[in-house]
Amino acid sequence: MITAVQKPFDEIYEMIQGYKKILVLGCGTCVTVCMAGGEKEVGVLASAIRLANGKNGIEMDIAEDTIERQCDREFFDDVKDKIEEADAVLSLACGVGVQFSSEVFEGKRILPGLNTKFYGTTLEMGVWSERCAGCGDCVLETFGGICPVARCSKSLLNGPCGGSQDGKCEVDPENIDCAWQLIYDRMKSLDLLDRLEINEPVKDWSTGRDGGPGKIIREDMTL
Amino acid sequence: MDTIDKIAVYCCENSGLLAAGPVTDRKILDSIEIMKLPCSGKTEMGLILKTLEKGYAGVMIVGCPKDNCQFIRGSHRASKRVDSAKEMLAAIGLDPGRVRMEFLSSVDSHKFVKAVTEMWESLKIATS
Repeated sequence: MITAVQKPFDEIYEMIQGYKKILVLGCGTCVTVCMAGGEKEVGVLASAIRLANGKNGIEMDIAEDTIERQCDREFFDDVKDKIEEADAVLSLACGVGVQFSSEVFEGKRILPGLNTKFYGTTLEMGVWSERCAGCGDCVLETFGGICPVARCSKSLLNGPCGGSQDGKCEVDPENIDCAWQLIYDRMKSLDLLDRLEINEPVKDWSTGRDGGPGKIIREDMTL
Repeated sequence: MDTIDKIAVYCCENSGLLAAGPVTDRKILDSIEIMKLPCSGKTEMGLILKTLEKGYAGVMIVGCPKDNCQFIRGSHRASKRVDSAKEMLAAIGLDPGRVRMEFLSSVDSHKFVKAVTEMWESLKIATS
């Protein structure tokens, strides 16, 4: 899923100043799972804003709602009226949702309440970890299901750097495992160690972010 | 926003609620509103902020002693959430002392009275 964290409160509060009616709009998919922008988080943030407004003597109408997701047009139908009534929408979706909301509701001020982080997984409740960099040319078959692009701090494709010590990455030995240690251990368990001796050629980075904004068209699926 | 001149005390029914039970001091009882939780671990930021939004002077969460929680880690979890709520209050510009966590066993009635008294006095000082 896409992971995100909420922006610092003072940054959010600064963003909404001057508006009389705000809709705090959550997203029920990825950011609910990573506990950044779901219904619960909408409630907490709306409460915090009301308390801050109470303290500062600011009159502001704060509405709250959450839709299934903000990256598909169909889900906006239920909140169309609320969005139209608001002076601005504080969206707790990822960057995709904030932008798509802006496209669907042209002319409406849509503000981002989150900082989008990475494609990742839930390791345990309250802990999420990056797994995919969206490079556009998946090499997981070659590396036993562990991605060197996303999980190696240097995105090396042909083995570890000299900074790999005791299975840890020199960039942050306390918190980052050396991806190449993980790849080695995994390939060993799969009895595929000999495959790591095959040189991985220079990657074509244009298939991902480095090739500019992406677009996918399935002609067989267009109406 | 309405003002309710009381501390909302969310009590774990296995510890805090039992500690509060024998308290008869009218001054204490008039300064609080006790609400039951199945475990203090049920506490979430939303509960604390919504309670303050209703106008309560403060929120106290009373759970089991950390090393003796009925549900193993409930009060430990509550404590972390109270810490997060304090940070949020500070970010909003409100007094973090308006939220407090207490770890009490079922027989700690005197500690319950002491905690409520202390919190009430610090809130009154903060607003004076």
